Amino acid sequence: MRILTILFGKEMRAFFLSPVAYVVIALVMVLTGFSFKAALTILERTSSEGSLVIWTYSSYWFWLSFFPIFPLVTMRLFSEERKLGTLETLMTAPVRTWQVLAAKYGAALVFYAVIWLPSALYFFLFLGITGLDMVIPRGELIGSLLILFLSGALYLAVGCFASALTSNQIVAGVMAFTLCLMHFLLGVFSLNLANNLPTEIMEIVTYIAPHAHFQRFTRGLVDTRPIVYYLSLATFFLFLTHQALEYRRWRA
Amino acid sequence: MIIAENLTKRYVGKAAVDGISFEVGKGEVVGFLGQNGAGKTSTLRMLTGFMPPTSGSAIVAGYDIFHDSLQARRNIGYMPENVPLYEEMRVKEYLHFIARLHGMGGKQMRMRTGRVMELCRIADVRRRGIGKLSKGYRQRVGMAAALIHEPRLLIMDEPTNGLDPNQIRQVRMLIRDLGEEHTIFLSTHILSEVEAVCGRVIIIDKGRIKAEDAPQNLVDALRTAGTLFVEVEADPEQVEAAFREIEGVRKVHSRKLTDGWSKTRVVAESKTDVRRAVHSAVIAQGWPLRELVLRKASLEDAFVELTDVDHAG
Repeated sequence: MRILTILFGKEMRAFFLSPVAYVVIALVMVLTGFSFKAALTILERTSSEGSLVIWTYSSYWFWLSFFPIFPLVTMRLFSEERKLGTLETLMTAPVRTWQVLAAKYGAALVFYAVIWLPSALYFFLFLGITGLDMVIPRGELIGSLLILFLSGALYLAVGCFASALTSNQIVAGVMAFTLCLMHFLLGVFSLNLANNLPTEIMEIVTYIAPHAHFQRFTRGLVDTRPIVYYLSLATFFLFLTHQALEYRRWRA
Repeated sequence: MIIAENLTKRYVGKAAVDGISFEVGKGEVVGFLGQNGAGKTSTLRMLTGFMPPTSGSAIVAGYDIFHDSLQARRNIGYMPENVPLYEEMRVKEYLHFIARLHGMGGKQMRMRTGRVMELCRIADVRRRGIGKLSKGYRQRVGMAAALIHEPRLLIMDEPTNGLDPNQIRQVRMLIRDLGEEHTIFLSTHILSEVEAVCGRVIIIDKGRIKAEDAPQNLVDALRTAGTLFVEVEADPEQVEAAFREIEGVRKVHSRKLTDGWSKTRVVAESKTDVRRAVHSAVIAQGWPLRELVLRKASLEDAFVELTDVDHAG
C-alpha cells in the first residue's frame, strides 16, 4: 500500500507538471462551454423536451470534447517511460507490475474526474448569474456524471493498454483514439442502419455501444447493466495492459 | 554475490546470450567486456530481474532472480544503459522517490540521500531539475540512485558511455572508490576502463564467454608479447631475411620509407624479449639504426585476438 501511494503521488505530480494537462482542461472547458450554450439556445428557441442537462451532454460540442481526452491523457503513461528507459529503473526497483499499473491508471482516473468538475459547475453558475427560479434535475446530473465516469474508466483503460504496447506516444494516442471512437461509432452507424438490420443485432449493438447508455443515464435512469458492462470491460483492458507489461517477463 | 548458470536469452530466431556461466565473489570489481551487441545488456537485464532468462538460472545475493525477484532486486543497485532518469524531477526529489520505493522514509531517507549525494559529488546540484543537468552529473545522479538503499551488489551498464574525457576520469575514480566497499559488476566496451578499475574481466562475444581472468593475466596469455618497430638504413628484403633468423620472432614485415630507410615490424612470441637479438643482428650487418621501439601487448590485443575472427587463425 505504501508503494502504491508513492507511485500514485509521482503520477499525479507528473500529470499536473505537464503542459498537456492544462491544454486538456482548457479544451474541455471551452468545448463544454459551447455545448452548454448550445443547450441554452435550443431551450430558448423551442419548447422542446428534456432539460438543460440532457441537452448539454448530447450536443456535438460535447462529443467533440469527449474523445480527444483519452489519448491525450493516457498516451504518455507507459510510452514515455519506455522511451526514456525509466521503465527499466522502475521495474528493477522492488515494485510489482500491478502496483505500477494501478498507480498510473488511478492517477489518470482522478485527473479525468478533475477535468469534468468545471462543466458540472456551469449549471450552478448559470442559476447564480441569471437568478432564474429553476431546478437543476439532480437525478439527471448524477446520471450524466456517472456515465461520464464509467465510460471514462473504460476508455482510459483502453488508452493504458495502447500506451503499454509502444514506446511511441503518437502511435499510442492514435491507437487509443481509434479504438474509443470505433466503440462510439458502432452505435452511430447502427442507428443509421436501424431499419435494415435484424432486431437481434440491434439489441446487441445497443447493449454494447455507448450511445444508448448516454441517453438513458443523462435522463437520470441509472441502469446497472451498463455499470457492470463498463467496469468489467475496463478490468479486462487493464488485465491486457498488465499482460503487455509482463510480456518481457514471460519465459519463451 | 552472483552465481550465473547456463544463462540463456533467446529472442525470436537468435540467441543474444548463449548459456553463460560465471561467478562474482563478494567485494570483487568485475568488468563485463564485449563489443556492442555481444549480449552484455541482455545479461545485465536478466541479472536485475528486468527480463527472465529463456533458460538457465542466476542467484544474486542469495536470491534466485526469477523466483525471488523482489528480494533479489532489494539487494541490487542497478544503473541501466544511458542512465534513464525522470527529467521533470529535481535531483533530491528523485533520490527521495527511489529511496521511498525501497521502503525508506523520514530520517533514514534524508541521511542516505545526503550520504550518496556526498559520495557521488552531486550535493551542489541537489535542487536542480534533472532535465537540465550535464551528462556527467546525470551519470552520477544515476549512480547515487543505484546506491541509495546500500545494495550489496552494484550493477552498471556502460557507466562512462557518452562522457567527455574529464567526466570519464571522474566516474572511474568514483567507481574505484566504491569498489573498496562494494561488489561491482559493470559492462563496458572500453578496454582502458577495465584495466583502470576492474580486478577481473569476463570477455563475452556473440553471447558466449571467451575468457575470464585478471586483465594482466589475459595480456600475458597472449600469443604475442608485443610489437617491435625498427628503423634501419637498409634494403627491406635483407632486413626481413636477417630478422627472420632470430629465435622467438613470429612475424616480420618491412617496407621502404621515402627517405631510403626501411621500417620493420617484428612480432615476437609471448614471454620473449627479442630486442637484444634484433640489436645484435643490426650491429652484425653494420646497418645504421635510428629507432627501436617496443609496443607492449595490451588488453586491446587480447580482446581483438579473442573476439575477432580475422585475427584468430
